[in-house]
Amino acid sequence: MTQADEAPLSEEQLSEVIARYPDRTGDVLSILERLQEMHPLNYLPKETLIRVAEAKRLALSNVFSVVTFYSFFNLCPQGRHTVTVCRGTACHTRGSNLLMNGLRAEIGGVWADGQSSYTTPDHELSVHTVACFGQCAMAPVVAVDHEIYGRMSEMKLRQRVRQLVRKESNDEDS
Amino acid sequence: MKIRDFDALNDIRETGLNKLLRGGPRIGVGMGTCGIGNGAQDVYEAIKTAMDTKGVEARIVPVGCFGYCAAEPLVNVYIPGGPLVILAHVIPDDAPYIVEEIVAGRIPVRKALCRIDAWDHLTGHVTYGHGFQEIPHWDEIPFFRGQKKIVLRNCGLINPEDIEEYIAVGGYFALCNAFQKPSRDEVIDEVQKSKLRGRGGAGYPAGMKWALLQKAVADRKYIICNADEGDPGAYMNRNEIESDPHMLLEGMLIGAYATGAAEGIVYLRAEYPLAVERLEKAAAAAREAGLLGSDILGTPFAFDFRLVEGAGAFVCGEETAMIASLEGRAGRPRPRPPFPAESGLWGKPTNINNVETWCNIPVIIACGGSSFAEIGTSNSTGTKVFSLVGKIKNTGLVEMPLGSALKDIVYGIGEGSPTGKRIKAVQTGGPSGGCIPAMHFDTPVDYESLGTLGAIMGSGGMVVMDEDNCMVDVARYFLEFTHSESCGKCVPCRMGLDESVRLLEKICNGDAEASDVEKLEELMPMIRSMSLCGLGQTAPNPVVTTLRYFRDEYEEHIRTRRCRAGVCEKLYMSPCENSCPLNMRIPAYLQLLKEDRIEEAAEIVWLDNPLPASTGRICQHPCENRCRRADEDAPVNMREVHRYIADSAFAGDLIVRVRERLLENKIPPTGRRAAVVGSGPAGLTAAFYLTMLGHDVTVFEEREEAGGMLRYALPEYRLPKRILNEEIGVLEHIGVRFMYRQSLGAGLALDSLTGEYDAVFLATGTWNETQGGITGENAPDVWHAIAFLEQVARSHRPVIGGNVVVIGGGNAAIDSARTAMRVGAKVTVAYRRERSDMPAITEEIEAAEMEGAEFVFLASPQRVVINEKGRVTGIELRRTRLGDFDASGRRTPVSTAEFFTLPCDAVIMAVGEKPDPDPLRQAGIHVRDNQTAAVHPNTGETNLRGVYAGGDLVSGASNVSSAMATGKAAAHAIDRSLTGKDNMDLVLKTFSFRNIVPAEPEGGDRNVSPVLGVGERRDSFDEVVLGFDAETALQESRRCLRCDVKEQCADREGALKEPVS
Amino acid sequence: MNEQLRLTIDDREITAQANQTILEVARENEIPIPTLCFLEGLSGAGSCRLCLVEVRGVPRFLSSCVTRVSEGMNVTTDSPKLASYRRMILELLLAERNHICAFCVSSGNCELQDLAQELGVTHVNYPYRFPSYDVDASHERFVYDPNRCVMCTRCARACGEVEGAHTWDVMGRGVHSFMITDLNQAWGDSSTCTSCGKCVQACPTGALAEKGRSTGEMKRSAGFLSKLSSMRNCGR
Repeated sequence: MTQADEAPLSEEQLSEVIARYPDRTGDVLSILERLQEMHPLNYLPKETLIRVAEAKRLALSNVFSVVTFYSFFNLCPQGRHTVTVCRGTACHTRGSNLLMNGLRAEIGGVWADGQSSYTTPDHELSVHTVACFGQCAMAPVVAVDHEIYGRMSEMKLRQRVRQLVRKESNDEDS
Repeated sequence: MKIRDFDALNDIRETGLNKLLRGGPRIGVGMGTCGIGNGAQDVYEAIKTAMDTKGVEARIVPVGCFGYCAAEPLVNVYIPGGPLVILAHVIPDDAPYIVEEIVAGRIPVRKALCRIDAWDHLTGHVTYGHGFQEIPHWDEIPFFRGQKKIVLRNCGLINPEDIEEYIAVGGYFALCNAFQKPSRDEVIDEVQKSKLRGRGGAGYPAGMKWALLQKAVADRKYIICNADEGDPGAYMNRNEIESDPHMLLEGMLIGAYATGAAEGIVYLRAEYPLAVERLEKAAAAAREAGLLGSDILGTPFAFDFRLVEGAGAFVCGEETAMIASLEGRAGRPRPRPPFPAESGLWGKPTNINNVETWCNIPVIIACGGSSFAEIGTSNSTGTKVFSLVGKIKNTGLVEMPLGSALKDIVYGIGEGSPTGKRIKAVQTGGPSGGCIPAMHFDTPVDYESLGTLGAIMGSGGMVVMDEDNCMVDVARYFLEFTHSESCGKCVPCRMGLDESVRLLEKICNGDAEASDVEKLEELMPMIRSMSLCGLGQTAPNPVVTTLRYFRDEYEEHIRTRRCRAGVCEKLYMSPCENSCPLNMRIPAYLQLLKEDRIEEAAEIVWLDNPLPASTGRICQHPCENRCRRADEDAPVNMREVHRYIADSAFAGDLIVRVRERLLENKIPPTGRRAAVVGSGPAGLTAAFYLTMLGHDVTVFEEREEAGGMLRYALPEYRLPKRILNEEIGVLEHIGVRFMYRQSLGAGLALDSLTGEYDAVFLATGTWNETQGGITGENAPDVWHAIAFLEQVARSHRPVIGGNVVVIGGGNAAIDSARTAMRVGAKVTVAYRRERSDMPAITEEIEAAEMEGAEFVFLASPQRVVINEKGRVTGIELRRTRLGDFDASGRRTPVSTAEFFTLPCDAVIMAVGEKPDPDPLRQAGIHVRDNQTAAVHPNTGETNLRGVYAGGDLVSGASNVSSAMATGKAAAHAIDRSLTGKDNMDLVLKTFSFRNIVPAEPEGGDRNVSPVLGVGERRDSFDEVVLGFDAETALQESRRCLRCDVKEQCADREGALKEPVS
Repeated sequence: MNEQLRLTIDDREITAQANQTILEVARENEIPIPTLCFLEGLSGAGSCRLCLVEVRGVPRFLSSCVTRVSEGMNVTTDSPKLASYRRMILELLLAERNHICAFCVSSGNCELQDLAQELGVTHVNYPYRFPSYDVDASHERFVYDPNRCVMCTRCARACGEVEGAHTWDVMGRGVHSFMITDLNQAWGDSSTCTSCGKCVQACPTGALAEKGRSTGEMKRSAGFLSKLSSMRNCGR
């Protein structure tokens, strides 16, 4: 794991978010959601989990159980760009599996069994799936860096991904 | 500012109405997530900019979604005095036009979809105004016709971020109303009277749940709104919250008041950020107005709510799982009883209802429970919002009274398929629901009826599937979903689904045996009965319903290892190859042509299809319907390319080399003999493959030349006979023998054939014309289409003239019309349905029209008018109108009382062809009710051993490639039975070529073949479609996206490498 | 609170106390109901689904380990359907991980093994998953072999409810669910484990065992858990 390499959130950030939800242990979901969103690499480092467990007086195993149960939470650093493919029914019937195949071919990633996401080793791109965006009328739908693209085709998606990566390398050159 | 009483609320209503109706023009831009996804934000900005540049005094506000997703972005425009007009498909470039028109006091009619004169918000009423009658009223357009908006009463009409607009349409008055009732019991009474059932799925009566919570004794009670809309394919809850968040708050307030709960929680998916934002804003506004918190509306009632974002777990829709989640644990359900009404959140009495259940509450209180109960059916009252998505023209959110027939939703509101493909099923209720086949579309949509079919209402997702969807894949998809969302607590769900998914994967990969389906059928009832919660208990539904209604697809996957729909990747080469009845290796010949290897291209074309030049002209090209290039621009013109390849073979000496290659590939003689009766496409194909497989083949033909319908029914201008002769020449060259003037039953006896040959293939076609059943049908100037076409094909002479009416809408009708025009007639085609329902090939209909044919639709023949000399003078037609939808999704023509007569000199009846059943019956072959031969579906063998049948004789009048496919399949089956070997793969040979997927679409726009000018077609039987030249054929081949290449890696620069294998 | 009521189990008229579960009453009356995730002294999980019974008038089977008896209830604990479903559940459990008795410390003392024998599971009709999980031997006294685990969560309940340490919990979901200690770290590195061994005593299979045992040597007794648990409840 590369977790240790990545800086956790600052103590101020952590206390601020935890203080926002003072009452119930039930708010642990909301706290973890906010903390993940705040992290530049969009994930929950181990230290954050320990801190939340302490603050909400929860068992460590309970916190780990929560973060591994909900698909929203990431325990590994995410890529700078995110492509999220909707695996909703409308998208499926309109060929979202072809989009996934295209992405696999494009970035050469292999999804492990039971994993809903994949991040390239250079952390440039994360590919996620989502149960449904609720944008079924525009199926198949893909979100690229949280912007929704409807009626996507495999070819268009691969072009878009290539653009992202190319743009990135151009930026680095200049 | 706090609202303390009814009067204060009334004052705000006035302020709100001012915003809606007074103070100049108002523009509302539909800004739900879906609208924004379609560019509504840009439209909003563009209109704003256009108004600023013009210095226009008009108001522009975001509104919610009006439900018609297929027409997004939607913008509504109101100019005081006139109606509210909804504009559709608005793009930023339309902004200056829209603003200009409004400045001039006009409605931008160019973009108008419909108008609304007045709107019943149910809690209030808004009258806009009249005018612009040329724009249809909203309930006159198909998508809205029959809808009843209760939950969506305000959606798309008011600004969801403005509490005053909600109050303007009667919002929070129902809460006042509830407070004014003598007791809380009466509020619950109204809900019970309404017979409202939970809209989340199971349909438990809401009033009963409320009563339980009210009776529970505890220091604290909770109400929860389940907005964790995890059901893929359903998004009504998102829209309801985004478009009208206050209705949810008001519903919960009334519920809290009635049941004595002091705290409410909305559990909303994190995937819906805009809904989260709008609900938070609405709550803040309500708090400020004193509608949340303590002393609500000046009463001692106190209530507040908080919003919790779900973090992506479908099982949290299960109430005990949601409670676990709210308590900060993983969302694993627990067994019930105890039910949440007894012991829920933190062990306190709790009520959980779905968003839509809460949203109905204000209307029930405002209008009364009994009047609500009058909508829908007696057991399923009110309406339900459905998300109509998938393979449907009008996608969107549809609110219908419960009990509406499925076909009215699919074909009426949705207007059927966007592509004209056959709709196969509707999946309702998401992963917990089932697939309802088209034959059950008469079913009323209510809780019980859907249950009877094995489906459920669920949250209201309706995903329409067409022939491109594989039902085994659909079952696998849903099971994979529930499998990945299973919490893993109980064994039946955790492991039962895991085994089931693996069984389904086996089937989809072509690795399964029949016993795997049995295992699946054994697991399903166990999972359903033994699972802990609703997720597991309903997970089997998609499998059970697809097995019940689409078992043939499962069997096909297992037995023939093919996926008809072209979805299960391991079971087909490419979508085009899979949809071709002959399974032509299309990407292969396109690639070989690209590599300048035309000899091999021609060889593979011939091996897959022994009539490549004929089919290259007349095939209905199903390949194009599936071509993925269509997603980029337009499908590859594959048919024209194989026509080009075949034509170039005949044009030079290439055909000599192709023939040599075919002979080289022939299996050595087996010493077995086969007879083929009938030399149409099916017979020729069977003869070709049987010969290639090493058998000695004789074809017996009734007429004097071979070709069947290709020669005698297809007009010369579509298929020149010299082409057909060349193709038959190839067959003769490889060794097929032909015997002419041999008619089954008359001279040629089946038992003598079976005595002499090891196998017999019958393909005698459909040469009997169906009778129209009208008087005068047997008059001398009344022709049957096939007889007419044959007559012209034989003589090329005018056998008909003057005014001719053709009755029918199929290919025979259009061929007859175009042929009649070529021999000098003036032609009118009369068809009983509409143009879009015509079964003929579209290009042919268009060509007939170009050549001067007139069309009369919605007219069915009644009587041929004959004068005293016995000559035809006209045909009397009866006007039809379109009635109910039939199983094919077309409206059934219904006779009206209106009659009219078309004067004419001759009539051609083209209402269908049938086989001649007599020779079959005499020979002892089973004949079905529709006069076709009964055969085994896999082998094509009849009830007589060694006697096979195919083509139109079995299928009824069909098309050339399907007929040929039966010949190919029968040859395969005959060979297996004669030799005990499977030599077909040897005959078909393997070809190797480069497998590189183009990085970008290549080859430019789709090429179409040049055609003969209309002027040159008159009085001439010259071929109309001229075909590609070498350059165009090559260009077109480059357009192929190579879907047959499935495994390929790309490096990060986007340069593609060939796979190492 | 403890009012008496009458009910019928397998056609026998039985008197019971209102706060008892169907399972308790059945066992008091020596009516056998198979269980796996149930352990006296721990809360009911209702997750193995082996103890499901038919209750007349209720459309679904109910978990007897958590459902309380009520007046006039008519319970059937066994039927051909229930028997076949229970066998399928056991087959699925056997196919899920690697339950090879010949190499297991708990062989002969394993509830899964006993159940398979009692319910007549002679073969497994489903393909095995054959996962290969690393054995965690980092704890000084105990060893955790996930390959033998049936996800009954008895360890987690013993740890959380009786010992109060909450070292054990479930990570992931579905077929990827997995018992973990703390933040999915080596058991021996756990900061919360008191090494009390209750989890080991609670385990029905060979997933948790004392170190140094070889095949068939691991014997356990979890009876003390119910005593501990009732002592705790008395104190409240």
